[in-house]
Amino acid sequence: MDLIKKIKENPIIKKLGFNRIVLACVLVLMYLILSLMVDNFAGMPRIMSALNYVYFLGFLSLGVTFVIATGGIDFSIGPVMFCCALVSGYSLTSLGVPMLPSLILSLIVGLLFGMMNGYLVAYWKVPPFIVSMASMNIAKGVASVFTKTQSVSWPQAAKGGWFRSLVKVGKFPVGIIVFLVVAAICSIILNHTKAGRYILSLGSNREAVRLSGVDTKKWEMLAYAICGVLVGIAAIYFVGAYTTVQPGYGDQYNNEAIAGCVMGGTSMAGGLASIGGTVIGVFIIALLQEGILALGFTKDYQLIITGLIVIVAVYADVMARRRKN
Amino acid sequence: MGEVILQMIDIDKRFPGVHALNKVSFDVKRGEVHALMGENGAGKSTLMKVLTGIYTKDSGSIVFEGKEVEFHGAREAQDAGVVIVHQELNMVGHLTVAQNIFIGREFKKGIRIDDKKMNEEAAKLFEKLNINIDPTATMSDLTVGKQQMCEIAKAISHDAKVIIFDEPTAALTESEIEDLFKIIRDLRKQQMAIVYISHRMDEIKVITDRVTVMRDGCYVGTLVTEESTKDDIINMMVGRIIYEEPKTKSRVPDDAPVVLRVDHLNAGRMVQDVSFELRKGEILGFSGLMGAGRTETARAIFGADPKESGEIFVNGKKTVINSPEDAVKAGIGYLSEDRKRFGIVVQKTIAENTTMADLGNYMKGIFIDKKKEKKVAKEFVDSLSTKTPSVDQLVVNLSGGNQQKVVIAKWLCKNCDILIFDEPTRGIDVGAKNEIYKLMNKLAAEGKSIIMISSEMTEILRMSDRIVVMCEGKKTGELRIEDTTQEKIMNLATRDIN
Repeated sequence: MDLIKKIKENPIIKKLGFNRIVLACVLVLMYLILSLMVDNFAGMPRIMSALNYVYFLGFLSLGVTFVIATGGIDFSIGPVMFCCALVSGYSLTSLGVPMLPSLILSLIVGLLFGMMNGYLVAYWKVPPFIVSMASMNIAKGVASVFTKTQSVSWPQAAKGGWFRSLVKVGKFPVGIIVFLVVAAICSIILNHTKAGRYILSLGSNREAVRLSGVDTKKWEMLAYAICGVLVGIAAIYFVGAYTTVQPGYGDQYNNEAIAGCVMGGTSMAGGLASIGGTVIGVFIIALLQEGILALGFTKDYQLIITGLIVIVAVYADVMARRRKN
Repeated sequence: MGEVILQMIDIDKRFPGVHALNKVSFDVKRGEVHALMGENGAGKSTLMKVLTGIYTKDSGSIVFEGKEVEFHGAREAQDAGVVIVHQELNMVGHLTVAQNIFIGREFKKGIRIDDKKMNEEAAKLFEKLNINIDPTATMSDLTVGKQQMCEIAKAISHDAKVIIFDEPTAALTESEIEDLFKIIRDLRKQQMAIVYISHRMDEIKVITDRVTVMRDGCYVGTLVTEESTKDDIINMMVGRIIYEEPKTKSRVPDDAPVVLRVDHLNAGRMVQDVSFELRKGEILGFSGLMGAGRTETARAIFGADPKESGEIFVNGKKTVINSPEDAVKAGIGYLSEDRKRFGIVVQKTIAENTTMADLGNYMKGIFIDKKKEKKVAKEFVDSLSTKTPSVDQLVVNLSGGNQQKVVIAKWLCKNCDILIFDEPTRGIDVGAKNEIYKLMNKLAAEGKSIIMISSEMTEILRMSDRIVVMCEGKKTGELRIEDTTQEKIMNLATRDIN
């Protein structure tokens, strides 16, 4: 116990975060074990496949990190991501909108949903759980109506789908660079700007921040809006990797995105958030998904495991809090 | 007096930054009223919370009815017969009196709750206590005094052997206090052991058999009430602290400009037609009983709660304040009575809390200038002598007095000219209390204007230049410090209550 305490007190480790280091070790360990258990797991195809998952899930997770930092929650991110991909994809393929405006449209749809959620939570005081449940259905409905319940396939690179070079160029995974850069920007927003300061503070003690003369509603809504834009980006990476989207789906990614976020040390009670932790958390989820498939299990097992991860991570956070009190 | 029923031996308890209890011993006998006295922050409440299992002790032992015990939570203590009547009443307002008394152990008829039986049992209980309350009345319709009687009835219905009263008279009128004492005497006759926490000296002489005094978390001594004088007790309580005499003269010239004028302010039942003026450099005391509407008035002025009507003038200019944001812009700062909930963000550092209201001045482009932030926070830590290893310390790790200084720093950092201190020394230990007083005087001397809400008479008399007294949501009087006596304040504070 003393040794652990000593390690925790070390300034370098403190700076990086003890929990994040543990989490990174878990990630590496998982990778090593899977490589030993599964033939050729370490090979390029698997890595590329895992990265495809990392991209869209990563942006979702980054987004929801802002919302959870305020003490809120957003269960609409998965379906909203699908809605973004469907609305912009349908505009591109069936309405003749050019590529760039279509991509921007995806961000705008995400932003609008984020702003709607944020407005209802911050100004109308509707509980985030209810708001996001409702907007999840709205997102599915809007997508179905807009596309007349048809699936949308985004064009291949050869047929004008230049957006795919945001994901990879040849064998080079451009997406990972974009993801890490966006994550770095998120981290700066959270830790070095007014917005981040107030988002975290109001997540910790909303009344105290409000009574300091801060417009807490505005900043709370902003957190949801940021989340929305990131969901719009996630949509682009989803179709960049998987090409086709179908209306009526997307729920399963909520849980995975939230799992990545809380595993990384962001507290469901609000006030504490770690972008670095979220990034590692996302890698773990993606690796898990790849590992489960490689070991010959179905996707269903992954649902079970991510569900358990959320429960364990939140329980750990609750216990840590209780000990502090 | 009977044998000792409950004994606490060498109880020790530490919180981050505070040694709350330092080897404290205490006992109470059957059929005795034992007063536990000491200044705010002396550790009385903490000791009782350790006893009832709300806090776990670090060391020491508790012997109850001859056996060593350790209660894990109020429920266990209650089941054993140790109950506490809290200072803040724990009642559910929209339930009836009987429903409140039997909450958590309702009588049942099959799966239905048997309200009739609960009403009968409650009536029996009241009869035993000689209290006249209708068990079917809705709790929120009762006066504070009546509600407390219900709380006592509830305690007794648990088959209590030891009853702890935590400052039971803080919110009561004279006649209600009389009734309470009658009940306490009855309980004593029934061989109940009673712990009576208070710092009203007169009550102690009237109602208690023994007095134990605590100071700064330490046990000072125990006296038999009959054999001791008021001065004996005061000397034990005060110890090294030299009390300043009440202020005798206002330091504020009569022609000092009015910086804040509140005109016919209305905000719900607790703020009815309140008007007053605050002058530059003045400390304006707000006195009254618990629930008199002082905090509500302050919150309405500050824009924390909505107003129904009324006007506010800051430096002679009519100012619309609909939110704390508006108030802060007008140069008003509010230090809440409940720091943890309304004052500080515990998961943030001292530096981050210090600039909370003034972050706009600590920006370099879109980024927070953390270097400047820390530098300014350090200056406030030094000038307010906040005890902390660094400004990067999380506020959660500070003691109450130092947390209060962080909140003060927040408003000084924003450079507010009007400061509303709501119970500025609640839960702060004695040494830090004096520092807060000195600081407030210094601020007033520098030309800041202060509204100080306080339930402590000594604090009101010592600090105020002028005193506004409220009762049940109305302003019942205004006194110049020169003509103020404790009696005058009490009369005004209870004027509307019968």
